[in-house]
Amino acid sequence: MLADHSADAIWAHDLTKVYGKLTAVDHVEMEVPSGGVFGLLGPNGAGKTTIIKLLTGLTDLSAGEAQVAGYDVRRQPMQVKQRIGWVAAEVILDDDFSAIENLWLQAKLQRLTDWRPRAEQLLRYFDLTAREKDKVSTFSTGMRKKLEIALALLHQPSVIFMDEPTIGLDPGTRRMLWELITGVNKEFGITVLLTSHYIEEADALCNQIAIIDHGKFVATGAPSELKSKVRGDFIELDTTEQVTEAMLRAIPGISEVRTQGKTWVLRTSSAEEVLPRLLTHVDPRDVRRINVERPSLETVFLDLTGRKIDEDSGDVHDYRKFYATVRRARQ
Amino acid sequence: MSGETRFATITRPADATTSPAIGQGSQFVGLYARELLRTFRNPWVLVITIVQPFMWLAFFGNSFAAVPLTELEELLHIQIQSYVQFLLPGVLATSMLTVGMFGSMSTIQDKRFGYMKRILLTPTRRATIYLAKALGSASRGLVQIPVMIAAALVFGVRFNGDPLLWAAWILSLALLGFGFSCMFLAVTASSTDWQTPGVISNFITMPLMFASGALFPSVNFPEWMRVIANWNPVGYTALFGRAVVVQGVAHWNYLGYVAIFAAIMVTIGTFVASRYLKAE
Repeated sequence: MLADHSADAIWAHDLTKVYGKLTAVDHVEMEVPSGGVFGLLGPNGAGKTTIIKLLTGLTDLSAGEAQVAGYDVRRQPMQVKQRIGWVAAEVILDDDFSAIENLWLQAKLQRLTDWRPRAEQLLRYFDLTAREKDKVSTFSTGMRKKLEIALALLHQPSVIFMDEPTIGLDPGTRRMLWELITGVNKEFGITVLLTSHYIEEADALCNQIAIIDHGKFVATGAPSELKSKVRGDFIELDTTEQVTEAMLRAIPGISEVRTQGKTWVLRTSSAEEVLPRLLTHVDPRDVRRINVERPSLETVFLDLTGRKIDEDSGDVHDYRKFYATVRRARQ
Repeated sequence: MSGETRFATITRPADATTSPAIGQGSQFVGLYARELLRTFRNPWVLVITIVQPFMWLAFFGNSFAAVPLTELEELLHIQIQSYVQFLLPGVLATSMLTVGMFGSMSTIQDKRFGYMKRILLTPTRRATIYLAKALGSASRGLVQIPVMIAAALVFGVRFNGDPLLWAAWILSLALLGFGFSCMFLAVTASSTDWQTPGVISNFITMPLMFASGALFPSVNFPEWMRVIANWNPVGYTALFGRAVVVQGVAHWNYLGYVAIFAAIMVTIGTFVASRYLKAE
């Protein structure tokens, strides 16, 4: 019998998913209190989407247990699905249907009878009333995204899962979505779990963040807490082969030297103090690029994993995201 | 104050919180209606669905136009007005073979564009999706029936039989289409490859069409083809329809056979889809 974790919007213990030899989610512990915005931050392929699939019942758990909205994901998947909303990375709507027809279909799938007044209010809230009878294939990306969030809200869910909600969007639409996500959380009082590999997005939206890498949570906390754990600055340095690790280690103020491909990553007490020393110890002609990273979620990730968060971004094959990009490109 | 108060609240059926079994009627209606609307809003799908069987009657049905009727009746082992009259029930039966392909393609499209995930993230069982798709495909096939009958009338065919027998014939076609839709969807439940339904359709259509008695009587077949014809539901549907259309009588055991075929397919298919229908 599971313990009662109904006070938490999401609770998971030892959450694990194994695909063949790959452990996509590796013994994760989660506790997401109701009412907040919880972010899963990590590079592509870190296991963020798989965690959403596990928590929503889209895929089976290899091990562990989880509850969403007070219901056991494994034993009560239908009850869970009645209480969750979902916003996909790629906008998923029925393009042959109008906005109101998409809402009608969602109401049918969620077994709602008196859905129409709420649907009309949501269309008003998202400024889509004038286009409610138009096919959604004629909508802009921002309008499609708004409608997708309206679908997710139609049945009054307790938790909304947003999987990379702003991926591939232009900066203006991304900002608009950030405001909407904040609004959904505050005005509707709904817990939001979102995944992102955008540092600034997680920083701006989330009360709590779990940094995930290779299927494991490497740190959890409020953005300010996580940033406070990183002392000093990081300096990224591209050099010629004349520069050696020993040379860099000899510079006062550099506490750690790592390599990331052809780039040196130096942990320093203070970039202002170390940079002048660096340029006296190393011939400036051997330096091709210098970049200073101030304490941020980026440096937290760098500190914890030894890599930048977007290092692996291009490696993940996801044809749906590809199609979504192509669709947007055609609009 | 929570923003929820500005929005209408919704209510759920009583079983939403108390029962482990969530009703599936609403989801089925929504998904079935979606299948129909998607079909009938696409003018090309509609036109091809209607024109294709018409062309069968026009081209294939007239291929024996120059043959004297007595010789044709000797060859076909039945008294007929024309080969078109003989062919009509057979063409309609064979057209039901391919309707399942469209249901499979619709399912694969939903998987590839992520819509299957949207459905599966609601309290909708895989079996419900499967049944809605199968019935949607079969319904699409039924559109051909009035068109074909109208076309046959244009070609000068006059029909026998009372309305009850005609209803039974249409039922046999619906059962055949449903059975093949169930079979297609079961075979492609775990597939995301656009080509799979077409390949399967090509693989099964020709042998089942020609080894059926739908186009020519099976008494002329070699022994091995007759064995296939004896197990072929397309043949039984064609024979049932031919008896209704040409002779005005019904061989109810043929209808029973087609019903058993549909029942077996829907049982196997529901089991397979419940386990193997993938979200993506």
